[in-house]
Amino acid sequence: MSENWPDIAIPLAVFLFALIATFWLRRIAYGYLARWAQRVKGQGREILSEATKTPSVLWALIISASLALAVSAVSPEWKDPVWKGLWTLFVLSLAWCGLTLARRFISFYGERFKAPRRATVLTWNVTRIVIIVVAILILLEIWGAPTSPILLLIGVAALVAVLAFRDAFPNLIAWFQLNAGGQVKVGDYIKLETGEEGYISEINWRHTLIKSLDESTVLIANRKLVQSTVINYGRPVKKAKEPFRFYTRMHLKELTGHRAKNLREMADTLKMVPDSVVYYHTHHFLEEHHYLTPEPANDFALWVSDALGDEVLGERLASIDTFEFSTLEALRERLVSIMEEYLALGSNLRDAAEGREFHFVKSVSVILPTPYVAHDLREFVETLRKLSLNSLYFHIFESRLRLGKGLNDFSAWLEDSLVEKELADRIARLDPYTYTLEGLRSSLIQLIEKRIK
Amino acid sequence: MKISDYEPIVGRSTIEELKLLATRLSGKVVQNINSTFIGGGVAEILSRMVPLLGELGVDARWNVIKGDEEFFQVTKKFHNALHGRREKVSAQDFSLFLETSQRNIDEMNLYGDIIFVHDPQPVALVKRKKELGRKWIWRCHIDISKPNEEVWDFLQPFVVEYDAAIFSTPAFSRELPIRQFFVPPSIDPLSDKNRGLSPETIDSVLAKYGIPRDKPIITQVSRFDYLKDPVGVIKAFQLVRRSIDSRLVLAGGTASDDPESDKVLAGVRESATGNPDIHILSGPQVSDIEINALQRASTVVVQKSLREGFALTVSEALWKAKPVVASAVGGIPLQVKNKYTGLLVHGIEGTAYALRQLLTNPDYARWLGENGKEHVRHNFLITRHLRDYLLLFLSLGYPGDVIYL
Repeated sequence: MSENWPDIAIPLAVFLFALIATFWLRRIAYGYLARWAQRVKGQGREILSEATKTPSVLWALIISASLALAVSAVSPEWKDPVWKGLWTLFVLSLAWCGLTLARRFISFYGERFKAPRRATVLTWNVTRIVIIVVAILILLEIWGAPTSPILLLIGVAALVAVLAFRDAFPNLIAWFQLNAGGQVKVGDYIKLETGEEGYISEINWRHTLIKSLDESTVLIANRKLVQSTVINYGRPVKKAKEPFRFYTRMHLKELTGHRAKNLREMADTLKMVPDSVVYYHTHHFLEEHHYLTPEPANDFALWVSDALGDEVLGERLASIDTFEFSTLEALRERLVSIMEEYLALGSNLRDAAEGREFHFVKSVSVILPTPYVAHDLREFVETLRKLSLNSLYFHIFESRLRLGKGLNDFSAWLEDSLVEKELADRIARLDPYTYTLEGLRSSLIQLIEKRIK
Repeated sequence: MKISDYEPIVGRSTIEELKLLATRLSGKVVQNINSTFIGGGVAEILSRMVPLLGELGVDARWNVIKGDEEFFQVTKKFHNALHGRREKVSAQDFSLFLETSQRNIDEMNLYGDIIFVHDPQPVALVKRKKELGRKWIWRCHIDISKPNEEVWDFLQPFVVEYDAAIFSTPAFSRELPIRQFFVPPSIDPLSDKNRGLSPETIDSVLAKYGIPRDKPIITQVSRFDYLKDPVGVIKAFQLVRRSIDSRLVLAGGTASDDPESDKVLAGVRESATGNPDIHILSGPQVSDIEINALQRASTVVVQKSLREGFALTVSEALWKAKPVVASAVGGIPLQVKNKYTGLLVHGIEGTAYALRQLLTNPDYARWLGENGKEHVRHNFLITRHLRDYLLLFLSLGYPGDVIYL
């Protein structure tokens, strides 16, 4: 026994020395880590230090024992299983440490990016499975067990998983990008190059949900969103007390059977026809030629000039400013009074050529709601961009004069529901008859955009 | 054709509005009835509109009445008489019309919620209105403003039983005790007559008919009928040629049912004798694509008619952004707003003057042409026609002038 004491003493000494050295190194390392964590103030550093503190004791013991075993005189048939045991301990501790780190980091970043619980759980499960499988494979390798069939099995399983999640995976990655980048957030108003637009109501690990202007929900794959050109208008401006529902109006032309072949007949018929006839003949040129010319003439002026060849009377009738009138009755009176004055002078008593008589037509309006609703100025202006000209026409022209509201619908809503009196007044002061309909749309958009900015 | 094919042409909002209207007709059946599935303007319009209505979600169907050769000879006479032409209609013709109509009234399955009858041939079906109820509309595609009174007096009792009548222009209508609507016809921008053509196709058509592109080309497309005044066009062209070197193309068919047609064509050929710059293309061999190509190759398009229906050839030329010189007759003033979307004329000298104006001012001509195209886009394409019909179907039963749906 006394002859063999170095066989025991040397490994023991090496063990103790190595233990002291590794503990000393561990202390220095953690001291440095603590100072660094304090400097960068990141919670991630603390997680790293807390998760490795306990396993590192085990690692110091394993290193020390390994060194002691290396210098010991134990026979190889005993040494080999002890080696394997030490490696097993090391791998297990490493796996334990990896699992702790992964769990803490996933939970930390999940909270930071407000990730849904489902996404956090999914990420944690995938990571856990990967760490455990890798650890088992290494342990099998250490103990000399065959790993090829298991690797093959894992390969097949991975392939199945990739196939099953081939759509979901890029969306998950894109979801990380969206959260990390912070370019779009829930509540932002966005517009994609593909035309989808609205407020973001949710971003989950697969889709981004947008509440569009027609109040439907559009699901956009995260992958598509990160690849697309997106205009982000940011958070909503002030919400309206009542949303604005856009309506549209289309009209039918009903024949009244009345016709005039001279100015006398025109004036007499104009006195007795319904308001819808006055409305049709003072607005239809505007509707049919809205792309062409601002300040369109009324049909009476055009007929007097073209069919009766009276440019002077035509000019007088054409120069009536429709915007001045808040009722169709007042507009009719003005038209009739100009014709009567002219007739009193005996100026125009000629008949139109055969086939060029004036036919009195009545406008029958059919009004129906569109799917578009605006809750704030952003939604309002974006709807305005895509609104049909019929709808724009209805809210600006028809509601003011034909429905007798005296004010266009946009101004009324801006003042009553958004308390945007100045903007409402500006729009009310625009004389819509001096614009083409597209020109009017542009002017309204400019005014509202200026207000939003 | 699909309704979405029209979206790049008329815009998304127009298609959206058509769909919006169509959803309001859900559950209703619109039964179109005319006299033939093939041939003629009405069949052409229905063959395009019925599938498009179906695609919009409207249950639109199409049936034809039955009739033998003799019946259709009588209705042809009615057609001409309503147009104001001299036509000898005998008592036997009237009784034959009534007999065939009665057979159709007894045998035809009238299942529509809205029964949409086109032109005079099936007009008498309305006799079943009292028994069936439903909504009945009569679509008159012809000008009945100055009809043969005997024929009109015979048909009027049927017409006034309908809930509403539709005319192509206000001038085509007459005083009736029922509601009358004004729905202009339309062109299909995707048909062979109107779709875009490659420069190679246009060149090949010109080469086929031996028309060089060395000079400005003036074109009139219409059948050889004295009402289209092709000889007047040649005279106007000869006045233009005094100062501007150009070519004239007169293209169109001859009407097989019009004995005067060949006489008119002979007169045109005689007027053109000795002038190699006048190209006369007649007969059925001139296809729709060829007419399209000729219009597109033209510098100016003329429609110097003495009397007209709606004159869809004007819409076709405007759709191709061509400057148009046209007579202020029939439906032409609805399409050509003088000095905005073309030039309106009244005689041969006026036509020559307008042609010279356009040939010597290409920028002005281009401006008119582009305005004309926009005018057609907004007012005379098949999508507007569909919209008017949908509105009419929906508004039947609402007496007011402002209808909230």
